[in-house]
Amino acid sequence: MIQPRVTLHLHNGSREYQPGDSLTGEYRLDVVNRWDIRAMEVSVLWYTEGKGDEDLQVHYFYRLSADDGDYINPFRPGRFNTKLPNSPLSYEGVIVKIRWCARVRLFLPHGKEAVDEAIFRVGRIPYARAVLP
Amino acid sequence: MSCSPTPRFPENPFSTRKTRPGAIPYVFPLGIDCEAILTRLAQHDWRGAIVGPHGSGKSALLATLIPAIKSGGHLVVHHELHDGQRRLSEKTIAPKDDADVVIVVDGYEQLSRWNRMRLQHRCRRRHWGVLVTSHGEVGLPTIFRTGTNMELACRLVRELLPLADKTISDTDVSAAFTRHEGNLRETLFTLYDLYESRREDR
Repeated sequence: MIQPRVTLHLHNGSREYQPGDSLTGEYRLDVVNRWDIRAMEVSVLWYTEGKGDEDLQVHYFYRLSADDGDYINPFRPGRFNTKLPNSPLSYEGVIVKIRWCARVRLFLPHGKEAVDEAIFRVGRIPYARAVLP
Repeated sequence: MSCSPTPRFPENPFSTRKTRPGAIPYVFPLGIDCEAILTRLAQHDWRGAIVGPHGSGKSALLATLIPAIKSGGHLVVHHELHDGQRRLSEKTIAPKDDADVVIVVDGYEQLSRWNRMRLQHRCRRRHWGVLVTSHGEVGLPTIFRTGTNMELACRLVRELLPLADKTISDTDVSAAFTRHEGNLRETLFTLYDLYESRREDR
């Protein structure tokens, strides 16, 4: 049986962006039957990763839902485009990191999902280093 | 599902994102499973406590039980209490006039004695279930005691580390686990720091 799959691709292969840059990407949905797709979401967001509480903010989002009568065509690649904001910049700290990512989620029957995400960098803050005591 | 950050953005496998309750499935002791615990809870009229020391997996167990309680047709109202939170907000205790409610309170001992009594009284009067986590006995039937051991710690770490990643060894796990006297949460925090200090990409 073929597993439904999402493939996400950012047009800037280096995945390095500056604030205000345009982020464009493309996704493909691999499903046997288009009627299996209940909904699909595309988002561009940042989140924190580290030891403490997590934070997250969605910068760009759209959702297509079969229940709302939206037509989701899995046989043609989808595209998205958004202008990146001035902040926050990506940060690779030791205790906390700020990550930007584009994510495509496919909602299937029986609560199943397929997801792909592409992490990218906004700005050029150098990586932090852990200092041993 | 495919979810593959490029090697230039490697994740720390011990970050909160990877280790928070629900991110890793709860590992039950031999002979116990989710269903057995729910059966025990149902036998006690849906009133019970999960008891265990800090970092022993109480919240992780709740994260496993809550979806199962929901799929049994109950409405779960989940409260997570932190240090010094002595009361539940009146507005968020539970919706009114709903008979099949289970109130879940993670960190029940944070509540003042008076607020615990009030909550229990309210739950009894409205025929709501109440499931709490606590470090000790709190006047509710203990339906499960959580605990940790070195074998469990090593197993969880092996599951968290990417395949072939030898940054953290069993000896590291053992040292951190001993240092934190069996507190798995603190053990994973220590391993997060160790992982950061040994990363080759820095």
